Order: sequence, then structure tokens, then C-alpha cells
Amino acid sequence: MASMIPINLLRIIFMVFLQALVVSRLQVLDGFVLPWVYIFAILMLPFETPKWMVLVIAFVVGYIMDLFSGPMGMHMLACTVLGWLQPMVQRLLSPREGYEVNQEPTIQKQGLRWYLTYAGILTFCHHFVLFFAETLRFSPFFYQLGHIFFSAIATVILMVIGQYLISVQKSRG
Amino acid sequence: MKNIFELIKRHFVFILFGILFIFSTIVLFSSNRYQRAAFLQQSSDWVGSIFEWRDELQRYLRLKEINDQLALENATLRAQMPDNFFVIDTTIQSKNDTLRMQRYAYRNARVINASVNRESNYLTLDRGIVGGIRPNMGVISNGSVVGVVTSVSDHFSVVLPILNPKFQESVKMKGSGDFGLIAWPPGSDPAYADVKDIPKHVQVNIGDTVLTTGFGSHFPNNLLIGYVSQLNDQPEENFHRIKIQLSTDFRKMSYVQVVSDIFKEEQDSLMKQQQVHDGVDDSH
Repeated sequence: MASMIPINLLRIIFMVFLQALVVSRLQVLDGFVLPWVYIFAILMLPFETPKWMVLVIAFVVGYIMDLFSGPMGMHMLACTVLGWLQPMVQRLLSPREGYEVNQEPTIQKQGLRWYLTYAGILTFCHHFVLFFAETLRFSPFFYQLGHIFFSAIATVILMVIGQYLISVQKSRG
Repeated sequence: MKNIFELIKRHFVFILFGILFIFSTIVLFSSNRYQRAAFLQQSSDWVGSIFEWRDELQRYLRLKEINDQLALENATLRAQMPDNFFVIDTTIQSKNDTLRMQRYAYRNARVINASVNRESNYLTLDRGIVGGIRPNMGVISNGSVVGVVTSVSDHFSVVLPILNPKFQESVKMKGSGDFGLIAWPPGSDPAYADVKDIPKHVQVNIGDTVLTTGFGSHFPNNLLIGYVSQLNDQPEENFHRIKIQLSTDFRKMSYVQVVSDIFKEEQDSLMKQQQVHDGVDDSH
């Protein structure tokens, strides 16, 4: 458990910087698709992490993300919801005998189908709260819904590709 | 008492979630630009230096484009050199101008962070209090309007651009001189904005030029804002619905000028005097 702290800390820092300096700069379809991949760091927290710790980590990550982008509070709110839901979704999707010790929620360990469900639910919830907090209303309803939907899909795709890239590197080395 | 502790212990995560949720919501709803400035004071210097570092990298990648821009500007300036002009008038004139005084001063700055595709956008400049920048100064780029400075830290400043629903400035049509207000519909195309409050009896054509009025003392008079690109008039309304194409390309901006009004204090204090005067009159 203790050995997982540095790698998770590094991952959080790396993902926040990647988001703020690279991914937020992408202009896909004039900002219609806007992936927020930094939540990958929160999704990757190991199964044994206490619930309250997931919540606090998510909140802090949200605060840092807010410093880099628009008005304060958006990411804090979305990440708080994410940090609360993450252990719940993990429990919902757990196999009958429970997760093995020291396992991480990755495609390699849990399978692609499990990961897509896990990341899909959480990403959609996070993006929904985030975009709702950003607009504080749903004026063009279908535009907004499409915005949330396609951004969430882009985020999940990027996270899956990222994981395959890491695993290719590991198996080579 | 023991039961209460038990209850808190059992629902600890949910209570923590509730507290964090309520806290974030309060922060979100109270984060207007002044609130943001307070947050910014603490953290803007290090966030600013990270953005500056990224911008340095990006400018390196865009050197060719920036070179082209500078070369073009050099050519334009060179064309204006006195050597290029043949002197027709042979009488010598010296002019000590006592009729005109300089009113606006310009400082250059670099854009180190900008968003264009959000509901409300902001820019960050690499100059702050130390560089002479103060809140409410106007920001222009290539002679057309960009936005207004809202908050400054020691070395950085945040600009509220036209691409933000909170941006308000009066504008006028070049030909007729009629006044209107510029507004940007949140989250819309960053190349366009709307002009409101110009009455129907004013003739407006596609391609007409829209300029600043100089009322707000953020900007000098007759500065370019954009060109009329579309008219969506509704028969039941008394005002035009004008869509203009902004002359500033917010996606490609890297250098801007910050305008400071030298007479601003004088104008403001006169206005305040008048208001105080009126207030006294009302009470009698």
C-alpha cells in the first residue's frame, strides 16, 4: 500500500500538467469536444484507498485544476462528486470474491469491458457536473448534451489509448 | 451522545462529501471577477510562470509566423520614414504644439495564456503592477480592441476580453455615429460578436465599420472593433440585431498594447465631484 503513494502522487502531478499545458489547448471542432483527461489520476487510485482519502485527493486535484482554468469552483465541484462516486462504482462493479490485494483498476488487470463501464460511468458523471457548473443552465439543450457526451467519449478513448501505450512500454522493458 | 458519535463515524464519508460539495458550490457561485482576483493574488505568480514557460516553448515553434508579422510591420514603418518623402514645401517650419497634449500612453505586453472556446474567457499578460499595468486599462492588438484589464498581480495581469459576457463597452457605427453596445453571446464563435441598441431608423449595411466611442476611457476614440457581417432584424423589435466580425483574431494573438488614459483621474474626480454635488442638492 505504502509503495503506491509515490507513483500515484507522480501520476496526479503529471496528469494535471498534461491537462493544463497540452490537452486544454486542443481545439477540436471549435471547443465542442473538450476532453478532461486529468481525472485519469483519480480513476487510477488503488482499490484499498480509504473512501475519505479518495474524496480529499479528488477535491485537491480539482482545486489545482481550477487555478489553471476559468472561474474557481468548477473542477472542485465536479471532482468532489467524482471522488464520492469512485468507491461506489468500484464496489458496484466488483467481482463476487472481491478485488485482489494490491490491484489497480487497469485494463490489464480487470479487462477492457470492466474498464469501459467503470471509466464510462465516472467520466460521464464528472463531465456532466463540470459542464453544468460552467454554464449554470442548459440553454441550447441538445448542443450541451452533445458537448458533454462527445467530450466524455473523447476522454475515455484517450485514457484507454494512454493505458495501452504504457503497457506496451512495460512489456518491452 | 455515544450514539451521535457512532452516527458521525458511520456516515463520515458522506458528511465530508456534503461539506466539500457545499463549499465548492459556494465558491463557484461567488466567483465573480473580484473574487477571482483575490484567489489570483495568492497563486497567480506561480501559475503565471508555468504558463509563461509553456508560452516560451510555443513561441519558439511559431517563430516563422511571428517573423513574418514583424517583417510586415517593419516594411510598413519603413514606408513612413521621413527619408521616403520628397519635401515639397521649402519654407522651414518648427512647431511647438501647445494645442494638443498626449492623452493615451501605450505599453506592450505578451499574451501568455488565453482561452477562446469557453463560456467566459480570460487572457493572462506577462506584465503586472511592476510593469505599470493597473485594473481598468484597455488592451488593444494591431489597432483593434481586445479587452479590459480586470486584476493585476506583481508580474501578471488578467484581461477580460470581448469574448466574455461580462465585457461591456459602447460602440458606434462609423458612418452615422450612432451608439450601441457590444455583447458576446456566451460560448459562441470567437470570431463574432453582437451589437445591440442601435435603433431601426439608422441605416446599417453589411460591411460597415464599428468603432469605439471613447466614453468609458478604457480606449481612445475611433479604435477599430470589427465589421458588420450579418443583420438578423426581427419585425417586432425597434432595434437592429447586428452581428459583427471582430477584427482581432483571438486565436493567434501574441503581442498586445495596454492603453492607459493619462487624464482618467481628472475625469473621474470631476465626475465624482458632480455626483457629490448632486447628492447634496437632493438632500435639501
